[in-house]
Amino acid sequence: MYDFRTHRHSPLGRPGGRPSGNPARPLPRAAALATTLCLVLAALAFPAFAAEPRSGGTLVVAGGAGLRHLNPAVQSGAHAGLGVQLFAGLVRVDDGFRPRPYLAERWEISGDGLSYAFHLVPNARFHDGTPITSEDVAFSLAVVKRNHPFGMAMFDAVDRVDTPDPLTAVIRLARPHPALMQSLVPLLMPVIPRHVFGDGRDPKTHPMNAAPVGSGPFRFKEWVRGQHVILERNDDFFIEGRPLLDRIVVKFFNLPSVRMLALEKGEVDYYPFAGVRFRDVPRIADNPDLRVSTRGYEALGPLNYVEFNLREPPFDDLRVRRAVAYAIDQDFLVNTLHGGLPRPGYGPLHRSSPFHSDGLNRYPVDLDRARKLLDDAGYAPDAEGLRLRVVLDYPPFHVDSLATGANYIRAQLKKVGIAVDLRPAADFPSWAQRIGSWDYQFTMNSHWTYPDPVIGVHRIYLCGNIRKTVWSNTQGYCNERVDALLREAESTIDVPTRKALYAEFQRIVNRELPLYFINEEPYVTVSRRYVMDLPETVWGPMQPMDRVWLDR
Amino acid sequence: MTAPGNTHGAAPARSPAREKWAAFVRNRSAIAGLALIALVLAMTLIAPSFYAVDPFDIVWRPLAPPGEAPAVPLGSDFLGRDVLAGIIHGGRASLAVGASAAAICLIFGIAVGAAAGFYGGLVDEGLMRIAEFFQVLPALIFAMALVSLFGATLAIIAFAIGVVSWPPVARLTRAEFLRIKELDYVRASRAIGASDRRLIWRIILPGALPPLIVAATLTVGGAILFEAGLAFLGLGDPNAMSWGLMIGANRDFVLEAWWTVTLPGIAIFLTVLGVSLIGDGLTDALDPRRYGSHLRHRTRWRGQGR
Repeated sequence: MYDFRTHRHSPLGRPGGRPSGNPARPLPRAAALATTLCLVLAALAFPAFAAEPRSGGTLVVAGGAGLRHLNPAVQSGAHAGLGVQLFAGLVRVDDGFRPRPYLAERWEISGDGLSYAFHLVPNARFHDGTPITSEDVAFSLAVVKRNHPFGMAMFDAVDRVDTPDPLTAVIRLARPHPALMQSLVPLLMPVIPRHVFGDGRDPKTHPMNAAPVGSGPFRFKEWVRGQHVILERNDDFFIEGRPLLDRIVVKFFNLPSVRMLALEKGEVDYYPFAGVRFRDVPRIADNPDLRVSTRGYEALGPLNYVEFNLREPPFDDLRVRRAVAYAIDQDFLVNTLHGGLPRPGYGPLHRSSPFHSDGLNRYPVDLDRARKLLDDAGYAPDAEGLRLRVVLDYPPFHVDSLATGANYIRAQLKKVGIAVDLRPAADFPSWAQRIGSWDYQFTMNSHWTYPDPVIGVHRIYLCGNIRKTVWSNTQGYCNERVDALLREAESTIDVPTRKALYAEFQRIVNRELPLYFINEEPYVTVSRRYVMDLPETVWGPMQPMDRVWLDR
Repeated sequence: MTAPGNTHGAAPARSPAREKWAAFVRNRSAIAGLALIALVLAMTLIAPSFYAVDPFDIVWRPLAPPGEAPAVPLGSDFLGRDVLAGIIHGGRASLAVGASAAAICLIFGIAVGAAAGFYGGLVDEGLMRIAEFFQVLPALIFAMALVSLFGATLAIIAFAIGVVSWPPVARLTRAEFLRIKELDYVRASRAIGASDRRLIWRIILPGALPPLIVAATLTVGGAILFEAGLAFLGLGDPNAMSWGLMIGANRDFVLEAWWTVTLPGIAIFLTVLGVSLIGDGLTDALDPRRYGSHLRHRTRWRGQGR
């Protein structure tokens, strides 16, 4: 976790960009901040022991605009998270991605890894009182497989779901599928009522998506578009004594700054995916009423990177891509520019993944080497030292990492003779359209790696997934060895074997640089101090909030 | 400054232009404006060759205050770029956008206004409805839409500002044309067979120019502000350093690094102030009523009263 106390600026100290003099002066604020934080932490230690969870109260959550509907079975992204409060899943996962019982109280996996038998809790009912049966589980899986953006990645291996009795669902696989358990969490496979959504209408546009009959800890009460969503306690929840909150209100604000103000004023209690600038985080942490955390987003695993269009010059040439990598100083980006809040990333897997490899080439900044690589690639400097001119796109999200990063990369590439014109996008769709139609030279980009590489990572590298849609293999990367490794990894259960497969995959991607990774995007949660037991396991705000309570 | 008594004493024969210049330089604030603009022009046109730091280069740690290091005399911005370099080099883009937006606005406005005022009737009706269409659109939002649609380059930004600000110029031109075309000398020219083109360009337009020159100067100032506004909203050309872009890029850091936003803000303020002062001076100097014989007395009286 990010240590807020070490936040201070370090000077430029790199060959090629070294100024004279010594500007290394820790800000006095940093020291003051450290002291305050220690005091606050000490003060908090005691009430934390004293207080017993109690029920009641309303939690007000700050949300952004753009909610389309409340059914996570047919959508992905941050807005799907709200549906997790409405729908239960077969399992949930703990801090270490280990599956824990939820709607399924236990399960058995056959020796060949092709059959998973889930036993549902006997007293579970949908919000309209209808019992939840294995038929609903089979139906939900079919809907997700057909309609969710990752449906095929998650459930392509599923041959069928048998329902020997109402409380037993047996998922039968055509081949071993290591990501199956991770795909059964409420966000990715919510159990939805067949008697509501099974009426033959298209689940993507089903009218009940806006007012669903759910199976989770909270039931739908009201949605005023653009204003708020109200969820009420499900008194009939299958876990005794849960949830603790009476009500969750999600208030929508267009501007991140307004969301933050609402939180500071106490109008809002909880702000996940907080839209704050990295530099503001220590200032917010200074506020004794607020709690700041970067935990609880590991299952999303957001990675930021530079994506090269490999179809055309100059980035079809590995030497040019490597020159870019050697010209960029990750330490400056991560530490000097952003105070150490983001962590550097070097390869295609997020640090929290069990398959993450250390020891990849970090391409330490080396401007002479970058120039030499460009020479070798045939891009000799002209009289003004200019070798080539390229256009860099960047999307309007992850502003600190991507927009600021693009500005930094322009300054840095100029030093090795590459003139960069920035092309910002007016909005997300116009950027996504441009990248999705392969109409770019190189772009800043970011994707979620999700808890298993099969779900979130393979899509970016498989030759068969070179498609005209953003967050597929838009860069046009195709390596037969990588394909073979990923194909094998997606049907291997044994973790050490998979780890070896992914280690080689990471080495190849790190060497061939279809993408050059910059950092792991830190998502920030800000909440009022009295909100207790906020979900901070790997799914963070996208897991059920049945244990959350208010200490006031 | 020349004392009023000297200029108006023996009344030697003088050309109108010299007389106007004299009126202009008598106006202290106009001279101050002129001096400001001369300063800004010198800074943006000449200084870059003396201070060759690329405003996009990262030369120091981010957000260093002014005076921390000789490398960044006026401090550094959120990326570690030199604020002084930005102010010196950024003026070029700001002034270029301001001037070309004003030019586009004037060409458009004068063409439409002249046609509407001269021909009247259906042409007038049609053109004025078009002008109204542009006037009822919120200027900033319309310009933002144009820039988002066609891309944030300096040319597009200048074009967008020009397109949203021509209707007032058109209305002004039209009003002048309506007034002047009924004057005797115009009727006389028409009677001796002057073509429409000659009437518009050679006979009427010169008479309509004084208020248009004033409008043009004020439009330059407005366009510079407009460009800063667009850049503040994130719609500046990211590949051309301008004062507006500096403010827009650093606005989130204004609380901890005032110099990143305040200094380019002062540059914009002084430039727009200079342009406006010149505009005011021109308004007074070009006012034809000051040179009619029956009004000369009043002018002298005003001059002495100061």
